[in-house]
Amino acid sequence: MPEIKFDQFLAAPEREIVIVRYHDIFQTEAALKHGKFSKEYQDLSAVIVLDPVDMKKIDAGDGDPVKISSEYGTVVVVAKKSEGENDARANAGHSGVGYMPASVWSNILAFGSTPVSAKVSRSQQKISTVGELTRIQRLID
Amino acid sequence: MACTGCALLCEDIEVRDGEVRHACRIGTAHILNRQQIDPMVDQEVVDIDDAIRRAAALLADAERPMFLGFGNSITETQATGVRLAEKIGAGIDPCSVHTSLIDDIVHSRVKTCTLPEVRDYADVILFWGADPMNTHPRLMSGYAYYPRGKNRQHGWETDRTAIAIDVRRSHTASICKEMYEIVPGRNIEFIDALMLALRNKVPKTVYDSKRVLKLAGTLKKAEFGVIFAGPGLVGSVPRGAIIRLMDKLNEFSDFRILPLYSPYNLRSIAAVDTAAVTTATTVMADAACEHPGGCTPTLASLREADCLLCVGFDLASSLPQACDIDASIIVIDPSETLTAGCADVVIPCAAGGVDLAGTAVRMDGAKIDLPCITKNGQTGAGARTRVSDASIMNRLLEAV
Ligand code: SF4
Repeated sequence: MPEIKFDQFLAAPEREIVIVRYHDIFQTEAALKHGKFSKEYQDLSAVIVLDPVDMKKIDAGDGDPVKISSEYGTVVVVAKKSEGENDARANAGHSGVGYMPASVWSNILAFGSTPVSAKVSRSQQKISTVGELTRIQRLID
Repeated sequence: MACTGCALLCEDIEVRDGEVRHACRIGTAHILNRQQIDPMVDQEVVDIDDAIRRAAALLADAERPMFLGFGNSITETQATGVRLAEKIGAGIDPCSVHTSLIDDIVHSRVKTCTLPEVRDYADVILFWGADPMNTHPRLMSGYAYYPRGKNRQHGWETDRTAIAIDVRRSHTASICKEMYEIVPGRNIEFIDALMLALRNKVPKTVYDSKRVLKLAGTLKKAEFGVIFAGPGLVGSVPRGAIIRLMDKLNEFSDFRILPLYSPYNLRSIAAVDTAAVTTATTVMADAACEHPGGCTPTLASLREADCLLCVGFDLASSLPQACDIDASIIVIDPSETLTAGCADVVIPCAAGGVDLAGTAVRMDGAKIDLPCITKNGQTGAGARTRVSDASIMNRLLEAV
């Protein structure tokens, strides 16, 4: 019998954030080198950079999957804590704003390049793939 | 040789024995790799001639065809694309938020300059909604910040002040001497506050008015100021706001603007003087309207079309919602795109400046020759010779 965890029937805490897209040179490079269906591209694209304050509020740790829903769509991506000098701080100064690399994962939420409101919560689901988001499958090996 | 990895079109590239010299990470990956795809009709692999014939039939039958992209095509391909659009009554949407700014620059509604002028004269440089360290990696070292220039012999140390204005502390912002953080969606309020501050008025604003006044002081003292306008600026404010800001800045000092976008030949297609090319409200500018939730015209304008021709533009990646529209989709692209996965016809082509020679227009308006770097766009085994998009376009033009 599968193990039943006490908290699995409780709704994960949710947080309202604004999604802002950004460009990442390594992600662009991965798209060119390995293609937009590749694991390398997905690992650098299906990401949201969150402020430690927001991570705490939704009870998510660095590298945990999080579900993000806007009025345009829903994705599951990896949560990353703000990097660099902000690592050690409890507050990276952008609480309420989540940064996502420009890609199909953020575009499905943002509908263009504008900032868009969304709800973020910890998730037990797997990271969304391109195929799941667009129903498009890779044409080449 | 020149790199077509971004609109900077660096001309000092050398390729020897499969090794690329001088290019950045993006340029190297762009020159050496290609996710090549087979010609397809209805997602089945076919001969390229069959794919072109099918595309011609779809275009000939279309009542409301629409062309998207062309920013990643050589100028010669664009010219044939425009003729094809005019022949069948299609509109061309370059699908960039930058087209209106390019239009304003080309028609002298705002002052601009060349990249060598930035290197030689610029003392105050603003990166607004732009992160060239991640999108145009050689801009800072080649022109905008680090190099010594004719009137800027001390380069960035003492001769230049770089300022970032952005919604995010980007890598570019971390290099700049000052950073002004924008509240998402509130660029226009920053512009309004800055305009007041330029007139020595203390702005009432969500931003720190003392810092805005300090910024205004720096900008007024500029001998040769340049704004690099990224998508974070042009995609989030009305077109007229940038013109007004530039006019105001030029009352006090000498300010120029350069658009910072990625498609290497966007400036050329956006500047084509024909009714076929949309420069006012493009699909992407629509999408980037200021109020989230008020963006429905985007898909509506796409839904009006019954046949979409995507040339070097990955519609499904930029607007995934477009996967569900009813129009038939034709893709012409050197690489595999997400759009190819939902297209009726896919036609692979050579990549401009890689395995196809031609010309392009750099982001500052300079015309650049693009010699061929490799014969087939792929340096390794299994490489295939590819047809140029110019000849594909020519064959479509003859067939419809
Ligand atoms: S900066 Fe742009 S043009 Fe220059 S090498 Fe890099 S990608 Fe190519």
